[in-house]
Amino acid sequence: MRLLRLISWQYVRKHLLRTVLTMAGIVLGVAVFVGMHTANQSVLSAFNKTVDRIAGATQLQITAGESGFDEEVLERVQAVPGVRVAVPVIEAVVNLNLKSQGNILVLAVDMTGDRGLRDYDLEEGDDTVIEDPLVFIAQPDSLMVTREFASANGLVINSKITLAAMDGPRTFTVRGIMKSSGLTSAFGGNLAIMDIYAAQKVFGRGRKFDRIDLAANEGVAVPDLQKQLSGMLGAGYEVESPSARGKQFESLSSVYGMLANITSLFALFIGMFIIYNSFAIAVTQRRSEIGIVRALGATRGQIQTLFLTESAILGLIGAGVGLLFGLLIARAISASLGNFLGEIYGVAQKADEVSSDPRLLFGALVMGVVTSVIAAWIPARAAAGVDPVQALQKGRYQQLSAGENRVRRQVAAGLFVVVFFCLFFAQNRVIFYSGYFLTVIAGLLLVPTMALWLSRAIRPVLKFLRPVEGTLAADSLIQSPRRTSGAVSALALSIALVISLGGMARASYNSIDEWMRIALNPDMFLTPTQNITDRSFRFPASFAEEIRQIPGVKYTQVVRNARILYKGNPVMFVSLDVANLRPESYLPAIQGDSKTMYRLAAEGKGFIVSDNFAELYKVKYNEPLVLNTPNGRLALPVVGIVRDYSDQKGSVLLDRAVFVKYWNDDSINAVRVYLNSDTPIATMKARIEEKVAGKTRLFIFTNQDLKTYIIKITDQWFGLTYIQLAVAVLVAILGIINTLTVSITDRRRELGVLQAVGALRSQVRGTIWLEAIAIGVIGLVVGLFFGSVALYYSLEMSARDIAGLWLDYTYPWGMAAGLFPVILGAALFAALGPAEQAVRGGLVEALEYE
Amino acid sequence: MISLSSVSKRFDGKRQVIALDAVNLHLEKGEMVSLVGPSGSGKSTLLNLIGGLDRPSEGDIRIDGTLLRGISDDELTRIRRDKIGFIFQFFNLLPTLSCLENVSLPLHLRGWPAAKINDRARELLSLVKLEKRLDHLPEELSGGERQRVAIARALSVYPPILLADEPTGNLDSNTGVEILGLIRELHERLGATVLIVTHDRGVAESCPRQIALKDGHIVMDKKG
Repeated sequence: MRLLRLISWQYVRKHLLRTVLTMAGIVLGVAVFVGMHTANQSVLSAFNKTVDRIAGATQLQITAGESGFDEEVLERVQAVPGVRVAVPVIEAVVNLNLKSQGNILVLAVDMTGDRGLRDYDLEEGDDTVIEDPLVFIAQPDSLMVTREFASANGLVINSKITLAAMDGPRTFTVRGIMKSSGLTSAFGGNLAIMDIYAAQKVFGRGRKFDRIDLAANEGVAVPDLQKQLSGMLGAGYEVESPSARGKQFESLSSVYGMLANITSLFALFIGMFIIYNSFAIAVTQRRSEIGIVRALGATRGQIQTLFLTESAILGLIGAGVGLLFGLLIARAISASLGNFLGEIYGVAQKADEVSSDPRLLFGALVMGVVTSVIAAWIPARAAAGVDPVQALQKGRYQQLSAGENRVRRQVAAGLFVVVFFCLFFAQNRVIFYSGYFLTVIAGLLLVPTMALWLSRAIRPVLKFLRPVEGTLAADSLIQSPRRTSGAVSALALSIALVISLGGMARASYNSIDEWMRIALNPDMFLTPTQNITDRSFRFPASFAEEIRQIPGVKYTQVVRNARILYKGNPVMFVSLDVANLRPESYLPAIQGDSKTMYRLAAEGKGFIVSDNFAELYKVKYNEPLVLNTPNGRLALPVVGIVRDYSDQKGSVLLDRAVFVKYWNDDSINAVRVYLNSDTPIATMKARIEEKVAGKTRLFIFTNQDLKTYIIKITDQWFGLTYIQLAVAVLVAILGIINTLTVSITDRRRELGVLQAVGALRSQVRGTIWLEAIAIGVIGLVVGLFFGSVALYYSLEMSARDIAGLWLDYTYPWGMAAGLFPVILGAALFAALGPAEQAVRGGLVEALEYE
Repeated sequence: MISLSSVSKRFDGKRQVIALDAVNLHLEKGEMVSLVGPSGSGKSTLLNLIGGLDRPSEGDIRIDGTLLRGISDDELTRIRRDKIGFIFQFFNLLPTLSCLENVSLPLHLRGWPAAKINDRARELLSLVKLEKRLDHLPEELSGGERQRVAIARALSVYPPILLADEPTGNLDSNTGVEILGLIRELHERLGATVLIVTHDRGVAESCPRQIALKDGHIVMDKKG
């Protein structure tokens, strides 16, 4: 502790800026980790809270996927001994077009029994609407809203709200305003209660319910009741506690979680380099100080402990600041994540507050400290190994000896040989990831050599551009490969990450573009919802026939999508009238013959699954896929595997007849409309609107609308690339500021001489700027190369563990070109401060500086 | 050529130090002057002020008729690069540049064309008898050779003023004599005003004019 106060503290005080910059590496890593994970947790927690609040006293919930089930199931459940109360529920997220924030969660219940589970505490309105359920049922236009929602939208008792229902616009009357309580705070207070039988009409559910909520009689063990109900209803029904829904939601957002992990690990890894670099430089600069302390009797262990303690303290403070920043950015990320999950999965959820798990925060804190200590380990060992006699001989540059560099190259070459062999056994997950890890290590070991070679290569260019400034800038880099390589490593890693994500985005866009051309070839899409992922409303089966009869319509296809649990995960099932599909709509086959697979599927003799479904669930071609449906076990072979991007968690295509038969659901999500070639889209749109005007809820998307929408969602997904880019830019700025701050200290005398012999301030600034740009260029070249390898691994990872999609390797040349101005701009920006520092110092002191 | 009027220099710290106290000095064009004094007497400070490396706390300095007070840093740099050549005790060569590049440095900073720079640098290195060491790095040279490169660099534009801070201080006595001879020879050939700060009595006495400083005051100014 005394050494820490006497030596380290003095050094920190003297190099405050550098200390802050070093810490920034940890701040960045921890902030990204905490921000992304807290956002994810907040959204999950908000979802769980909503589920919990809506559940009330519910102990078990019965569902059969999104398709719902017939009313008779309720009677069977109610008849089970041990069931105290069982009530039907329909739940839908609706956009009411009111002035307040977008969507509202409509909970449709049967007031006759529902009060046994949920407490509707009215603060205003006619209590008889709930006191006597018959009043509520007798007035099917009744709606109860929360106090929060009413206040936000200026609603009072008897206010009217018009809702575009499946059977045309319907006006509802606010008959009750609920007091603020547990239930009303669900979904941020944007909650409305409606009669379930009215909801069946509004949402086009026919005679079906979405769910049954139930509670057991006193003394009845819930697990026993759960088993009993499962046995009675069959495997097609899920009987779970309300909290199980949270797990399903979690599985939907798992892809995001995985990406959040990758991003934050990279951010921390990059932070580790910034710390390693700073400590390596500090050890070199403090050699004489270490020598003196060693000469005065300090042991090697004491010196090593001194540096490691410094790094631990730095890590702790950095992690603490990172936590605060992370919590700050979590709010913004959670808002966009909520929207994003809503857009992609149709499960709208918003986090009202950032909920941070203390375990996560503690973990982040530990991670920050451990990262910092690991990063400082090698420099600390080097410090402990300092020879007191040699240390007291001053040296101007910290040179990486040729020997040290050669050893690194040899180790890297050895690792590359191992990596090469790993590629042959890459089927094994552990070997694959070990190969990736070793590639990163080997690449990093090569950075000093690459940085040196590149510095030498660009010297003539810089000299040609600016004979003095350019030469000195290049020489500064050549003379200090250790100083340069730290910044280059951090920058290169960052750029590699951007390139790998950018490459994945590029590949995805290319593939999606091709998929859209085939899968989305109708001229129009008619849906009952405002976007294609929301399935709250559904058309009746007869709707498609009405549309087909409109003059100008060549033919139609009906689609029923539903997320159905497969092995506990919500998987997208797409039911189509397969026989009606034209060959030009056949998705590209990965396994199986297109004509045969579609013929077999049309005959109800098999499933066609997407390649990502096959990959994620290890489903094999020609092997049976077994599903538990409300009408029993359905086992059909996988007759084909196709390339399909309908859903990130995979999709299963089956014939509509099979779906209707096994799920008792003949409703429709969308009608795909093909027009006669001579009919203008606008005319057809008008004709369709005229035909259904006032009769049904309808949204018309043209082919282009839908493609634009899908591209928008894809853009949102790859919006993460921009976070990576921001991290890369930050790293570039931090790393370069750090390196230049050290560089101008090292070169203080040189810069003083330069000014003494006639260099103007602008010329001194010029050399610092050029040095920064040179670091940027070297980082870019190395990073773009690393990126090409990282992209390969990312595509493999995406296919194996994230989305199950095999994407073509497409190097994002456009993005690579775009990175040049961004990174070089950041480098120049980073150089502004150090360059000013370089020209502001006293010349006399600079000339005497040793 | 060089004129100082009531020039003082104070260093403010925990305790104020007066390095120069109202110094008046006038050096004619072509003079060769030595400046002596014990450590801390203010010699290097005076040299730094004349060379425009530092600014006085009070008083005026004129270089070739130009008043240094109030001019910007860049104007000061222009005066330094056009009118003053520096020779330092520790040579202050840039370690990564060859002899030719070190000598070329001030010329590049002036924006001379490359061919002209090359000719002048070779000419200067030949003047200091280093024409065979053009591509050597400073670390490959002896102390005397390094100082000769530094002299060639100081002469790059044949400045009217040459300031030397202990030019022989880091050299053995034989090499010191050799370097001093070179400075004197160049002074005679080029006619520059030369001011040499030295501890060496021999060096000081070899100059036609000798000035001694003590506690920030000129205590002796002897000609001949």
